Amino acid sequence: MSVMRMVLKEVWHRKVNFVLAVLAVTTAVAFSVAFFTAAKASERETARLMLSMGYNVHIIAKDADAGGFLLSGIPDKTMPADCLDKLATQRSIAYNHLLATLEGRMNWQGMDIVLTGIAPEVCPPGQKKPPMTFQVDPGAAYVGHRIATAHGVKEGDIIRLADRELKVKKCLSESGGPDDMRIQCSLADAQGILNQPGQITVIKAVDCLCFEKGDPVATLRKEIGAILPEAQVLQVKALAHARAKQRQMIHNIFAVLLPFVIAACGVWIAVLAITNVRDRQQEIGLLRALGYDTSRVMLLFLGKAVLVGLLGAMAGFLLGTGLGLRYGPGVFEITAKTMIRWEPSLLAFACVLAPLFAILASLVPTMVAVTYDPAATLREE
Amino acid sequence: MLVLDNLNKTYRTGGHAVKAIDGVSLRIDTGEFVAVCGPSGSGKTTLLMMIAAMLRPSEGTVQLDEKDVYGMTTPQRARFRAQNIGFVFQMFHLIPYLNVLENVLVAGGAISERDGVRARELVQRLGLQHRMHHRPGELSAGEKQRTAMARALLNRPRLILADEPTGNLDPENAQSVLTHLRDFQQDGGTVIVATHGPAAKEFATRTVSLRDGRVEQSS
Repeated sequence: MSVMRMVLKEVWHRKVNFVLAVLAVTTAVAFSVAFFTAAKASERETARLMLSMGYNVHIIAKDADAGGFLLSGIPDKTMPADCLDKLATQRSIAYNHLLATLEGRMNWQGMDIVLTGIAPEVCPPGQKKPPMTFQVDPGAAYVGHRIATAHGVKEGDIIRLADRELKVKKCLSESGGPDDMRIQCSLADAQGILNQPGQITVIKAVDCLCFEKGDPVATLRKEIGAILPEAQVLQVKALAHARAKQRQMIHNIFAVLLPFVIAACGVWIAVLAITNVRDRQQEIGLLRALGYDTSRVMLLFLGKAVLVGLLGAMAGFLLGTGLGLRYGPGVFEITAKTMIRWEPSLLAFACVLAPLFAILASLVPTMVAVTYDPAATLREE
Repeated sequence: MLVLDNLNKTYRTGGHAVKAIDGVSLRIDTGEFVAVCGPSGSGKTTLLMMIAAMLRPSEGTVQLDEKDVYGMTTPQRARFRAQNIGFVFQMFHLIPYLNVLENVLVAGGAISERDGVRARELVQRLGLQHRMHHRPGELSAGEKQRTAMARALLNRPRLILADEPTGNLDPENAQSVLTHLRDFQQDGGTVIVATHGPAAKEFATRTVSLRDGRVEQSS
């Protein structure tokens, strides 16, 4: 009589116990799959939402008046545009989304405005991400709401700034902030208009220190200071903290919930395994009496655990993925399409880990089973 | 030949020592049918378990064909049991999720074609062919005990130990089981039956009476 056949026969005989055990693994795997998918989507979604709050690191020229910059938003000194290249070529650094700008005040048609030249956003090697802001083509202009309203500027119009003509790509909707008084163009156009060739005023960035301990500003200053001694670093703490807190909160929710669910399912399986062992005391005693050694008796229980784990893994994967696909898009509107999808690699993981999990949960009851004294159990008549 | 030399077994329960077997020495030759009699609590089952290599004596030795049973390691003893000893219990101890044929085959460990053929032969010999694919829950007490008999015989053991094998059977089925045990003995096997009823004594070649763990009489 092969052990596997005995396992299958016993499973068929004690269907309820088996179904409940499979259900426990199914629950654990479904939660794990759904959590894993949701955690990825949630982290990405949170990151994207937090990015929309804007850049939280400003790098300006070392000799610029930082106080004046904080008051006006425009540094009084420029720095070479190749500073951006130095930062953008570094590996293993704590910032991303580098955006170089050149900003200056000017008078346009009797109105004080801010002209902002924007270089294409760059990411350091290995940190390629979709850009946070729109890219401005040379010769194009984005006109702030107040300027457009005051001068009747419309999309497609040609506007002249100093000696350059720019085609209005878009008139921006009202922001209620300085952007309403801003014309944005390419960096090269702004350098020409403001007569600052090869110069920039600010490099904006987003720090990647949400999960770092210690003082992130000191870390950034140390890191950037070593690369760009000619620059000073300012962190917009309110933005940085809000972003860090939000991301940490999402991370922690999953870090606490998932182990809790898995542990609860482990206890559930262990209780069922204990019940199973108690029901089968006489059978174990008989098998020992008939000469079955410890390893064969263990195989009877652990073989069942493997079966429970495999079936639970498959059912749990289907359920977890189904739940993710069904409810994910409603929760994660921005990232659902790219982040919540069928992940066959998770099935492979589940098929390896779930049987191990079931074996682990059944191990103590199994060890108890093999220590039963056959003489004692067979005498209990 | 089975030799029990000065066997003692003491259980410790609730801080008290209870002597279940007290200095039992016996020599049982191959081909004997021995009935071990005595009232409940006299130590019959304990003695059988010690002979079965399942319960280490507190003192003394058990030798089967000059092999010291408790001189072996646990896995060696398990193998020894599987190869040499068959069991029949009062409560049958059939596995509830296996049918008659499978319950017989359980004694074979890993299934082989030879085991399959022998199991069918035994099932037929014991008059269970019409019940071959039935589970224990669908059998009468007599059929259950005959299934247990077939299981005990599968490995062609040298010794069958039967603990109150007729205790749950009507007289007709009790006779049938004892007859099968005698057939085994007449084919050269050794049978030891623990019983407190009179039926087995009629089939026994020798009766050993136990009282309070001691051999009171051997005839």
